[in-house]
Amino acid sequence: MRLARANVRKLVRRPATWVTFLLLLVLLGLIYLALIASSQQAENPQGALAARAIVTFPGAYTATVALVLGIGGLLAVTYGGAIAGSEWSWGTLKAAVARGESRTRYTVLGFVAVALIVIVGFLAAFAVGVLLAAGGALLLNVPLTGMSDRDALTGLPELFGRASLALSMDAALGFAIATIARSQLAGIGVGIGVYFFEGIAGAFLPDVFKWFPFAAANAVVASDPTVSNGPVGTQLEPNVAVIVVLVWLVAALAVSSLWTERAEIAG
Amino acid sequence: MTAGSDVALATEGLAKRYGSQVALDGLDLRVPTGVVYGFLGPNGAGKTTTMRILTGLIHADSGSVEVLGQPFGRGDRKRLFDVGALIESPSFYPFLSGRENLRALAATGAPVPSGRIDELLQLVALGDRAKDKVSGYSLGMKQRLGIAAALLNDPKLLLLDEPANGLDPAGIVGMRDSLRALAASGKTVFVSSHILSEVQQLADVVGIIGRGRLIREGSVESLLREEGAIRIRVGAEEIATAAGVLASAAGEGSVTPEGGPEAGWLTVRVDPGRSAELNRALAGAGVYASRIEGAANLESLFLELTGQGSDPGGGGKPGGRRGSVAAEPVDWATDPGAKPETTGWSS
Repeated sequence: MRLARANVRKLVRRPATWVTFLLLLVLLGLIYLALIASSQQAENPQGALAARAIVTFPGAYTATVALVLGIGGLLAVTYGGAIAGSEWSWGTLKAAVARGESRTRYTVLGFVAVALIVIVGFLAAFAVGVLLAAGGALLLNVPLTGMSDRDALTGLPELFGRASLALSMDAALGFAIATIARSQLAGIGVGIGVYFFEGIAGAFLPDVFKWFPFAAANAVVASDPTVSNGPVGTQLEPNVAVIVVLVWLVAALAVSSLWTERAEIAG
Repeated sequence: MTAGSDVALATEGLAKRYGSQVALDGLDLRVPTGVVYGFLGPNGAGKTTTMRILTGLIHADSGSVEVLGQPFGRGDRKRLFDVGALIESPSFYPFLSGRENLRALAATGAPVPSGRIDELLQLVALGDRAKDKVSGYSLGMKQRLGIAAALLNDPKLLLLDEPANGLDPAGIVGMRDSLRALAASGKTVFVSSHILSEVQQLADVVGIIGRGRLIREGSVESLLREEGAIRIRVGAEEIATAAGVLASAAGEGSVTPEGGPEAGWLTVRVDPGRSAELNRALAGAGVYASRIEGAANLESLFLELTGQGSDPGGGGKPGGRRGSVAAEPVDWATDPGAKPETTGWSS
């Protein structure tokens, strides 16, 4: 427990944690700004309608989760990569191992702390997103009555659970890449590269790439076509996506642990 | 290998290769309990590889290690609970303070008693800077924090790789005093260093390695005695007589003229403690030495044993041996980027 607590404390003090979170909020704010702006365009009535739909509650809850998931996925990969990579770059893993710490325990608890921070960040960003959506609704004269929709509110914990799992998997993927690369920069760079490669390749081979981690992560809550991240019909069914994401998460964590366990630590 | 409790650390036939490069080639070490052991060797001799194996960072291809009387291999990580280590450069989170870094490290491995961190920060004279971020520390301060980190568990065996790196003279004295005090309290300190004069002052026992093998191991005193020399200066016209007298006193082949007859220097390879005896022999033959110097130090011994002597004439440094040829340039300087410290390390 002391290691888990220490890991969380480290991450809270780490500038990268706050920079990543602020980046998420800024991007989220820009997206809502763009949505509100696009809803004013008379020449694109369909786009305007879609923009209004995103800020209309109770659907705005799911839309916000999907938006945070979409932006947060990339940030979670880079964050996971930064945290795992720095353990190698700064030699702090070396110091822990030299003190007799278990490599697997250190890796797993390091990831648990990252996942916790990612989930807390997601929840905070969701809250900000809901406020932005409500603000957008007010600006567009969309009634806010749907905010207190009982069904939507009771469904939120499940949405949170799905999104948290997906974002944790994204972070685990960055974690694994950085562990293999043994470098903070390489972890971030390769993580971003894989993210965009999957996105681009998915446009050409959607039936293959829908099983890949980022596409599956986006599919866990993407039930609304207006906010889905791929062509309609090419995403996994949300419950299937949850299982696929879980498999990727376990695989990424296993790779990180195994790699760290077997690594010759130098430098 | 059955090292008793009087041996804190032992290796037998330790071998390690990196591809085709041999890092360790059957290294045998025996580090007695309660001493400061100086671990010396030229660059690439295998010192850091040995340190990494001893701390479980890498694994030997063959051979065995005993730590504090127990076998140490894969799966024996808990043996390190009684070991403190500073391997290569100190490793810290730059965004955390010195105290927070020690707290983070204390969360790994064996539990650390409360109050220990502040005690160590005081020991390494970082109490005043404990709240500052490590990113603002100088190299010497990081080094001191690294030594504090190595001492977190109050270890029975302390492994330090170049602990004097970046320390100012006061810091080096403070470190030396602390390490001597640890050894005096029964703990074992294993120090790898490039600063030979520092090791000579600090270590009780030294092990010199080259090309991954142990070349010589023993107490500093006995090694210097066995490998010692005396330099004697006489008049240029008395060189031949003096050489004969000294050869009969110290043994055939033990006397070497330095820098040509006109320089008047003779090097006699004997225990430096015999200088009075040799002086008496010379005086008995009517030759009076104008200067007599003990010519043994760890540096000259090291250069001799590792074949890296760079002073063929032997005139530059006491103990320089005729015929020693530099195999490759050796850089014994401390890190040129090291920031000098103005704060001493008070123990």
